[in-house]
Amino acid sequence: MRVPTTSIVRAAMLGGVAAIFIALVGLYTKFATLELVGEQITLGRLLIVAPALTAAFAVTRPRIEAGARRMVSLRDGVIAGVLTGLGTGIVFAAATWFADVFGVDRIREVFVSVTDELIAFLTFDRGIPGGLVILVVLCVAGGAVGGFARTAPDDVRKPASVGVLAVLLFGLLQRIVPIVLVELGYEADWLYRAGSGLTVLGGAVVFVAAAGADVLWNRGGRQVRDRVRKTTESAPAARLGLFLVLVAILVILPLLLGSVISETLGQVMIYVLLGLGLNIVVGYAGLLDLGYVAFFAFGAYTTGLLTGAFLNTTTGAAQPALSADLNFYVAVWIVALLAAGVGLLIGAPVLRLRGDYLAIVTLGLGEIVSVITASKWAQPLIGGPQGMRGVTKAEIFGLNPQDDPQHFYYLALAFVLLAAFVSWRLSTSRIGRAWTAMREDEQVADATGISTTKFKLLAFAMGGAIGSLGGALFAVSIGSLTPASFEITVSITALAVVILGGLGSIPGVVVGALVLIGLPGLLREFEDYRPLIYGGALVAIMILRPQGLIPNVRRTRELEEEEVAQDAWAKDAGGEAEAVAAVLPGGALGGEREDLE
Amino acid sequence: MASVTEQRAPGSQLGLIERLPWRRIILVVLSALILLFVVVGSYKTLTLPADERYTSTTWKNFVILGLAQGAIIGLIALGYTLVYGILRMINFAHGEVFMFGAYTSFFFSDAWEQSGFLNTNPWLSMALLILIAMIASMIVALLLERIAYRPLRNAPRLVPLITAIGASLFLANTARGFFGAQSRGYGVPTALEGTWTILGVNVNRIQIVVLITVIVSVVALSVFVSRTTTGKSMRAVAADSEIASLMGINVDRVIVTTFAIGGLLAGIAAVLFAITFESVSFSMGFRPGIAAFTAAVLGGIGSITGAALGGVLLGLLQSVGPALILTGYGIPSSFQLKDAFTFLVLVLVLIFRPGGLLGSGEAEKV
Repeated sequence: MRVPTTSIVRAAMLGGVAAIFIALVGLYTKFATLELVGEQITLGRLLIVAPALTAAFAVTRPRIEAGARRMVSLRDGVIAGVLTGLGTGIVFAAATWFADVFGVDRIREVFVSVTDELIAFLTFDRGIPGGLVILVVLCVAGGAVGGFARTAPDDVRKPASVGVLAVLLFGLLQRIVPIVLVELGYEADWLYRAGSGLTVLGGAVVFVAAAGADVLWNRGGRQVRDRVRKTTESAPAARLGLFLVLVAILVILPLLLGSVISETLGQVMIYVLLGLGLNIVVGYAGLLDLGYVAFFAFGAYTTGLLTGAFLNTTTGAAQPALSADLNFYVAVWIVALLAAGVGLLIGAPVLRLRGDYLAIVTLGLGEIVSVITASKWAQPLIGGPQGMRGVTKAEIFGLNPQDDPQHFYYLALAFVLLAAFVSWRLSTSRIGRAWTAMREDEQVADATGISTTKFKLLAFAMGGAIGSLGGALFAVSIGSLTPASFEITVSITALAVVILGGLGSIPGVVVGALVLIGLPGLLREFEDYRPLIYGGALVAIMILRPQGLIPNVRRTRELEEEEVAQDAWAKDAGGEAEAVAAVLPGGALGGEREDLE
Repeated sequence: MASVTEQRAPGSQLGLIERLPWRRIILVVLSALILLFVVVGSYKTLTLPADERYTSTTWKNFVILGLAQGAIIGLIALGYTLVYGILRMINFAHGEVFMFGAYTSFFFSDAWEQSGFLNTNPWLSMALLILIAMIASMIVALLLERIAYRPLRNAPRLVPLITAIGASLFLANTARGFFGAQSRGYGVPTALEGTWTILGVNVNRIQIVVLITVIVSVVALSVFVSRTTTGKSMRAVAADSEIASLMGINVDRVIVTTFAIGGLLAGIAAVLFAITFESVSFSMGFRPGIAAFTAAVLGGIGSITGAALGGVLLGLLQSVGPALILTGYGIPSSFQLKDAFTFLVLVLVLIFRPGGLLGSGEAEKV
């Protein structure tokens, strides 16, 4: 099937507009010098190719024609990709040329990112006609790759995509991988250039290794995985073993990574905690809470007050109006308990609200907390605009979490494991199933005898307690608190973490936090563009993949098991219905029966 | 059967504590406390010693300021109300639509200020600025609908809301990338500086311009919605989009029109807001956006008069409220808590009267 010309023209226009958008928003100049592979392949240059590639990838998608799904052939796909890339390149080059002719300084009065450096970057320092030709050629190449990536046979395009993604990942992790290798006693001069990205040879090796691994995986890996999964599912000991290996890796990790990266990991851990807490409220119970920062702030400030922190005032440190001098490990449980109480208080009046109204009310409550935290009224209690300092260092067994990021990592890990364990047990328990029922259909849940009031309040209390632990850890990690840390962005970031990973999925929260907090934390260049990326990610995920990166395992498994059950029914049509029960030891059906009692 | 009736009998399964109407008790206690707080605070403020008390001129200024700002909020609130009425979704990014209008008009205003056009033709330039902002906001609103919302037309209700939050963040930071992170001063023609005396009260000229513009816009919108065919189809879709489409109304076009009108109104509000506060910045959309949403809910979401009324009430509450209620308790810089007031009102309205002041109080929505 050939790609319609109008689609190509449209995709090319959109690609061109996307490229202009990236230029105006300032991403090119920001990432111009971030080298990924060798000296030539920088993140900025990849961003030049990206719009054409994406446009070509989109335009060569399979189409529904006369009721049948028609794939685009490789030849047509590459041709369409090249044409799309050409169109994108022409639009992009024309815009660059226009900017140069019209005058960069005049445009900069409106668009601050349009500078001589931007033009120089987009023309590869070769001046206007020559550089623009390179720009168009690159876009054409990007378009061809995009078309190829969609239409090539699976056994070519899958390993190739995996290889490219691996190179990209290793390039982006340029501050981690070399350190790990050095810690392992391995010099990696051939792989990474000092203080920069992969070498050309390194890039090639990573590509070949990843692509090869993918090929091997498809040959025999799946069977191995299925066998492993079967043994872990049938033998609890094997599952426990797997879990212990995972924990062991997590424990050794900071020793390999050094303190700078451990600091980033600590931040990730805080957001994993927030994500786990919010996941209970949003993912399990289906209550969209946009004011989660309230619990974060509550946890942080209460920890400060209970462990004897001081207020910042113009004249120096002062004692807060209310304070105690407890050990952190005592105080933190009181904080969690109080936060659960706050969760009940917030939850009680908004119980009857559903969906978007609940979201807005919680947003309002969160903003009230932010506004009050920053107001002078709160000065005598929590320091108001000046904040607090001298939060406990939470020393234990000779570990000092505040001054040593590696020690903080262990503290945070302990809390995260605890929260993950609680979430996991809750999700598979009667309570978790009640939440699921409530999320799917509140009226039906109510009718089947689930007290929605009770379970909603429980979700708010649990979510609040876990979120406050995140706040307590945050307070310990930085030692001083200012209202600027407790704004709406915290709520939105936590929500983005949960949604990117997949609502209701615990591994999803971890992956979401790693991608959204970890990756930008490792590349300082991202810092200014974090909110832009979060916002874009939220929109893109909701449109393209609403179930998130790692969808809720339970729900996926339930679907799978339903199919298994149906197969079993079909097979045993003779009447051995017990076979179904054998396939489902304590599985979906058993669970529902319990709920209905 | 006997066992079933026995189970349903009150008291056999529920304890005394669970049988009490907790929700109602909590609400009654809460409302009594709030009422007490407001009354005592106002009384204390009004009976402060003469040297600490606000003068009557100050109160008048508070009221006029509240009216003007409330009018602007109401104008933005109309955008929320129209979209909610038709799509049953909260267009969280409406504040950013407003922000883009303000920023676009800023660049023209800035250029005209340097060329002197702004001061030689103040009225013409104000009209042009409003027109420019309207067009800019409308374009952003239409793009938003096309790119972010249309693919999710039939998705579960939380999905478009999360998308809207993402879009809001994305648009605000796009503006930051485009136009820079610092706020810029918005020029005001000299003809609009100073005061006019109306009924013996000195009123800032800008506030009068704001009030008149808003009244004209709201009247124009009401006429449009009640008299034109497009307005009629908008009302039909708001009442029941499925039936409306069966009656031959192009629902998609009505939705696009609604976003366009919301954008146009946001553009008008943007210029009025910018000349009132004399600055624009990438983050200027968030707080007015929330305030406007509150106003829409306060007045009864889906109702045009409700949105305008809610805006004015909220504006008054924001300007008079902190001074009247909080000063009496000796709270320093009570104006810092202005936004907390907004949100408190929002929360209370949703809890006590989710349908809003003029709304029908549909149970389905809450």
